[in-house]
Amino acid sequence: MEFKDYYQILGISPDTETPDIKKAYRKLARKYHPDVNPEADAEDKFKEVAEAWEVLKDKDRRAEYDELRRYGGQRQADFEAPPGWQSAAGNGSQHFGGDFSEFFNSIFGGQFNQERPGASDGFGIRGQDIEIEMPVFLEETISDASKPLEYELPTFEQGQTRPIRKSLKVTIPAGVVDGQRIRLRGQGVPGQGDAPAGDLYLHIRLVPHPVFDVEGHNLMVTVPIAPWEAALGAKVTVPTLESKINLTIAPESQSGQKLRVRGKGLLSKTGRGDLYAVLKVVMPDSTSAEVQELWRTLADKAAFNPRTQWEEKQ
Amino acid sequence: MTSTIIQITVSELCEREELSRSVVVQLVHYDIAQPLAGSSIEDWIFDVTTAHWMQRAIRLQRDLDIDWIAVAMLIDLLQEREQLSEENQRLRQRLGRFLMEDGS
Repeated sequence: MEFKDYYQILGISPDTETPDIKKAYRKLARKYHPDVNPEADAEDKFKEVAEAWEVLKDKDRRAEYDELRRYGGQRQADFEAPPGWQSAAGNGSQHFGGDFSEFFNSIFGGQFNQERPGASDGFGIRGQDIEIEMPVFLEETISDASKPLEYELPTFEQGQTRPIRKSLKVTIPAGVVDGQRIRLRGQGVPGQGDAPAGDLYLHIRLVPHPVFDVEGHNLMVTVPIAPWEAALGAKVTVPTLESKINLTIAPESQSGQKLRVRGKGLLSKTGRGDLYAVLKVVMPDSTSAEVQELWRTLADKAAFNPRTQWEEKQ
Repeated sequence: MTSTIIQITVSELCEREELSRSVVVQLVHYDIAQPLAGSSIEDWIFDVTTAHWMQRAIRLQRDLDIDWIAVAMLIDLLQEREQLSEENQRLRQRLGRFLMEDGS
């Protein structure tokens, strides 16, 4: 295994005093804490930094570590604790759930790694909770939806971590919102011994819809209309989450104008939100010479300048 | 079919996270979390999403060695960041429906 240079990890020299080590640790912990830093490697970096602090903050543990480091540990590409090595300073406080590296355990004893977070009732260790993202389509939020779910769980067998695949059918309750979390009791990592399994948490993520946009409990649908439909009014068919409805566009409508359709939005605690149809005036891709001529006539007759606001300012 | 749960009781929460009741009281006191129901501590029930933020708050307080006021501010900001990033994504999607793709 690789020798970990805790001083290098904290960016300090080996003769740094404890208060300055604490300062360096705090600075890096703030930066890499996985509850603050969304980067994928933040958690690993934080664990490394916290492990370094766990060793260097304790006088006895630091002395033992320094000894190993001085006597060549850091030069070995493949580090192994000296034969018969036994730490006198091994036991210490639980700082970050006891998830230490193999390197740490080889020096300070394996007892840390056994103490995973969760209730330990003396007969075993409760399995870890896990969280996975659950993509949910907007259509599935209108009523309770049954969804198949496949995920991997780490299991520990004879000191080895082995992933097992699990598949479940879960009920997503009607009215879930983006970012919500729901819990499946006992579907997390299996417990050790007689201890119960951890829980599985599903982090609900609403899948971006090809047609509808979400705003709170309301939905928006962009309705493309021809310029003459905007000018003269029209009846258009508009999709909703469940069916299609007919919408009347008033004469002289504008691009960006919103029409409200009550009760066709997402489910909320007080009922259903609304659907807003947002008009978007669209030009045809190409026009014939005859149509071009008609536009020219229209331009003369309408005598419309859409940029009068700019001209007033100049 | 596995049933989903959207609530967690105070005793389950304390057992899961090896918390004392007093830490839960602190979280409620500093408005990091509010119970959905329950008049006394033993009857408190929390929304699972709230419990997620409580766990994050507890980890931050423990790992960064900061006081509860700072944790409460941090949680507020993290929640705001999450909301803003979701809103940003939604607005980009809506904007995309009005703007033409590059080069077309």
